[in-house]
Amino acid sequence: MKESADRVARFVDELLHGRRPHRFEATHEEAEAMTAAVSLSAARVGADVPDKAALDRIHQRLADALNESEVVDRRLSRRAWLRTAGAAAAAVVVGVGLDEVVRNRQESGRAGGSATLLPDNGSWRPVAAVNEIPTGHAMQVSTASLDAVIINDGGTITAVSGVCTHLGCKLQPDDANRKLNCPCHQTAFSWSGKVLYYRLKAAPANLPQIPSRVNNGQVELYLV
Amino acid sequence: MAVTELRVLRNPDPEPSGQPEPAFYPDWESVYQDNVVGIYQLVFRKVGNAADAEDLAEEALMQTLKTLRLPAPVPTVRAYLVKTARTVLADHWRRHYAARDAANELDQLPVEIIANPDAVDRAQRLLGLLPDNFRNILELRFLRGYSVREAANELGVTESNARVLQFRALRKAAELEREVLR
Repeated sequence: MKESADRVARFVDELLHGRRPHRFEATHEEAEAMTAAVSLSAARVGADVPDKAALDRIHQRLADALNESEVVDRRLSRRAWLRTAGAAAAAVVVGVGLDEVVRNRQESGRAGGSATLLPDNGSWRPVAAVNEIPTGHAMQVSTASLDAVIINDGGTITAVSGVCTHLGCKLQPDDANRKLNCPCHQTAFSWSGKVLYYRLKAAPANLPQIPSRVNNGQVELYLV
Repeated sequence: MAVTELRVLRNPDPEPSGQPEPAFYPDWESVYQDNVVGIYQLVFRKVGNAADAEDLAEEALMQTLKTLRLPAPVPTVRAYLVKTARTVLADHWRRHYAARDAANELDQLPVEIIANPDAVDRAQRLLGLLPDNFRNILELRFLRGYSVREAANELGVTESNARVLQFRALRKAAELEREVLR
């Protein structure tokens, strides 16, 4: 009992100090106590909120692995095509073209990337007081020329178009999930304007960015 | 013909009768952005520390994204992701702690329970069900952040006895969690 209690106590200490617990062969009783310790540790207020650095690391490793496998997929599909094409010399020439077509289609499918809305004859116009938008919130604003959403993400103010790129429905901010929802066709965009998901035959374009700045306590957008 | 035209005018993306079609994730970035926090928190509730949660959340996302072809329906991706996270967690407990029973239990946990974010409420309810001496040591350690020595002083027992009390309290909590709360 004492040895088990000591091993579990060390495990609990590591959890409570935010360290990765040491590994060991646990008895059934120890494992049972450890799972309860995990539940209690996870229930501490704010304990399960990931820090941004952890999310960035996950994103980077996924990007490294998945973008690499996308390249491999393209090579494989080209190779498979070459196998069926028969005449090797002709296939190589056409195959290169096919590879380009595939790549171009994928790029155009990314629908707009991070287009920025830069109107001719624009100027900076105040649209809201910065203290109207607490951190972690998005706010709709309407001007004579456009609808926009202003976002305060941890003190950084950005703005994107406030209308869905599918058919122009007005986007509804969903602050809890850091999304902008289209009420018309179950499409959602991230705060950066990227399409998160859509219920359409093809992905709509990402939302255009709108140049924004904070000046004398006012959020200003570059508008006509 | 006239009816078709009217339908198109009213709704450019008409739904077939019955269930509406689900929304789609266009690419892996969308799946990542929409799910990374939720899947991290799900995993955290079963490992209790940030380092393991980061690794296992990444593993669940990686396996899901390498398996599913995108675009894919949102509910399909989310369900697959939760099931993958459950498998990854069970493997973690098996591999690092030889905890076969805990791992098997995780493997069999229904998706709606493992995905339920109500951990704080559950832990509070759990503490409320424990006998006083067990509840005291766990509250001091987990809610008030006392060390074993500080908790021992507060409770007027030796450090060694405080560790044993904590062990027994945790086992009782696990038993209650399994039998009463699920």
